[in-house]
Amino acid sequence: MSRETASSRFVVPEFGSAGKLWVGFLAALVVVGVAAWAYQLTTGLVVTGMRNVFSWGLYIMMFVLFVGLSAGGLIISSAPKFFHSHRYEGFARLGVLVSLACITVAGLLILPDIGRPERLYQFFTSPDFRSPMVWDFGIVILYGALNLWYLWLLTRRDLAARGSRLALGVEDTEAGRERDRTLMFWTAAVALPTAVALHSVTGWIFATQIGRGDWFSPLVAPVFIAKALVSGLGLLLVVSVLVSRFTRFSVDREELTSLGKVLGIFLAFHVVYLLAAERLPHAWADHFGFWAITGSFLIGESAYFWLWTVVGGAVPLVMLALPSFRERVSVIFTASALAVFGTTFEGVRLVFTGYDAANIDAAPGISVGGEYAGVTTDIWASAGSYTPTLVELAVTAGVIAIGALIVTFGLRYIPIQAENESTAVATDGGETRGEGR
Amino acid sequence: MTNYGLVIDQERCIGCHACAVTCKQENNVGLGQYWNRVLTEGGDKMDTPAGTYPENGEDGTLEMSYQPTACQHCENAPCVKVCPVNATYTREDGIVEIDYDKCIGCRYCMAACPYNARVFNWDEPQTVPEDGTGDVPARPQGVVEKCTFCSHRVEEGLDPACVVNCPADARIFGDLDNEESTVSKYIKKYQTTRLLEDRGTDPKTYYIRGEMSPGRPQTSDKMESELDDVSVWSEPKDNGPVEESGGSGGGGSHSSLSNDALPHVPAFEGGDD
Ligand code: SF4
Ligand code: SF4
Repeated sequence: MSRETASSRFVVPEFGSAGKLWVGFLAALVVVGVAAWAYQLTTGLVVTGMRNVFSWGLYIMMFVLFVGLSAGGLIISSAPKFFHSHRYEGFARLGVLVSLACITVAGLLILPDIGRPERLYQFFTSPDFRSPMVWDFGIVILYGALNLWYLWLLTRRDLAARGSRLALGVEDTEAGRERDRTLMFWTAAVALPTAVALHSVTGWIFATQIGRGDWFSPLVAPVFIAKALVSGLGLLLVVSVLVSRFTRFSVDREELTSLGKVLGIFLAFHVVYLLAAERLPHAWADHFGFWAITGSFLIGESAYFWLWTVVGGAVPLVMLALPSFRERVSVIFTASALAVFGTTFEGVRLVFTGYDAANIDAAPGISVGGEYAGVTTDIWASAGSYTPTLVELAVTAGVIAIGALIVTFGLRYIPIQAENESTAVATDGGETRGEGR
Repeated sequence: MTNYGLVIDQERCIGCHACAVTCKQENNVGLGQYWNRVLTEGGDKMDTPAGTYPENGEDGTLEMSYQPTACQHCENAPCVKVCPVNATYTREDGIVEIDYDKCIGCRYCMAACPYNARVFNWDEPQTVPEDGTGDVPARPQGVVEKCTFCSHRVEEGLDPACVVNCPADARIFGDLDNEESTVSKYIKKYQTTRLLEDRGTDPKTYYIRGEMSPGRPQTSDKMESELDDVSVWSEPKDNGPVEESGGSGGGGSHSSLSNDALPHVPAFEGGDD
């Protein structure tokens, strides 16, 4: 394997002016986010839109989203490995990179939600193993570490081949590559159950809570898994299309279409089947006439519900269901983007269903605990309401920018374009399957 | 074992909010926050009834009662189970309490509590007086706080502030594990409900509805277990020992306080409305 072939696999050999601008933009977002967080730390969470009745907000909604987003890449790259298949090989590295970025964003989003982050070490010194949050804390860290290890494992021989320090002393030998393939199989074998555990445990944070409306449902964990498959794969497709557009990364059109089809299946399972399974029993039990049951089954309660099921569910599903349609990259891109967009509102809706109504709502209600401004004496609320503030938006954008930076630098310093394993010795360097360029 | 609980007689409660206010003072609860609040069961607004006047052909269904609501000190407390760092815990005596030095402020417990009993310090709490009344330590910004059954008073043998300062004697505090305690007797004798019983949290706060009880028997600040004999009101003939615990000092030292034990509520049966 010659050096030149190898170096051609850097999809971003160096940052051009557009690249620099992009990195600068993301860095600026991070700086603004950090400043907003510092302001929030000194002033208190009173600068957020959260209050006593509605005590979790944007940070947790986005945490839920990003945990889900982190699923796609890892699953798409590890599932075929587990079955010793070379399918979707071209997406493997990018997928794990995106997964790593998303789980990092999810983990970081917890920090600004915590009232006293300097005490987080208590998770190690005084954990209560009954708490789903402790389970989730453990699994998020494990999952992040697993992604990091897997990404390195996938690329370390290539890194070594081009003398990158990121190879950490590993050498590029044929025997080593052989050994890595075995390791990849075992990593894939661990990664799949870990991913399932991650989404289930995150679901159980909510599903165990008997005090919060719809949260207390055994379906939440399976729904979280389905949601992770939809949004995770959706994001991977969006990123793949963008990256192939703006860098030298090339996607295999056939595989892209095939993944689009998979996304359609995930969508159908999630939005059509699981949602129906969740709603039908309630609709049936609550209503008497046939049309009343059907109506309450089909018609959702809030705008978030519609954004999620129609914009993020039905529309992309139709787009991907028509064979002639889904051949087009633009269709796959739009459908995937809509799926991710819609899933965002599923998390938003979940948090809202927990907080918008109080179990005991007699007057005057619950003290909301905001600043007593003296202008109004009304510190009471008998229902939850929430609008994120600028501070929350800035912090969230900053954290997401960190994720985008991880992907950007990954593209620059890690050989993201997979070598074609089966034709590793071919002189054309494994681009045989690509049509893109 | 001691297992503290509270009985609130809603038939006695006059909706004066004294318990809510005294709680705020005793515990230096910040402005904008309440650990204990008095809810109106009835109309949409505070102090408004549901139903109609019996005029213009209406049937006269006016109905209103007060439901003082604070932490219910659940036996199967979801807030304790969710706290990732053991900051919220159940004490030996059954009181659910928060270690404010441990709390990381994740607010999972607020999500878990079905009663919205918990409040979060969204900023540095402002109290009146500014430095607090000195009865309990101040809590910083960024932690969750809630009713403690005035554990600092209970440890000194005093009833919680809300119990002592209820002018209608509607609040009775005591040991649920002791069958002779007033709370245990009332729970047996009167019709009681607990809030959101279907959630399985097993709260230790009981609400009397229906027949009115004689209320809290003692006029003293002291807890029942600290008094010589509280059974006067219920079993006038019986002067035998009420407390099996009786460990601390015995009755003699308290004899000068025996007046405290006298009920100031004459009858307990057949009270009219
Ligand atoms: S009422 Fe709420 S805060 Fe109090 S013990 Fe029960 S769950 Fe915990
Ligand atoms: S906010 Fe504090 S008391 Fe509540 S669950 Fe988190 S650490 Fe525990």
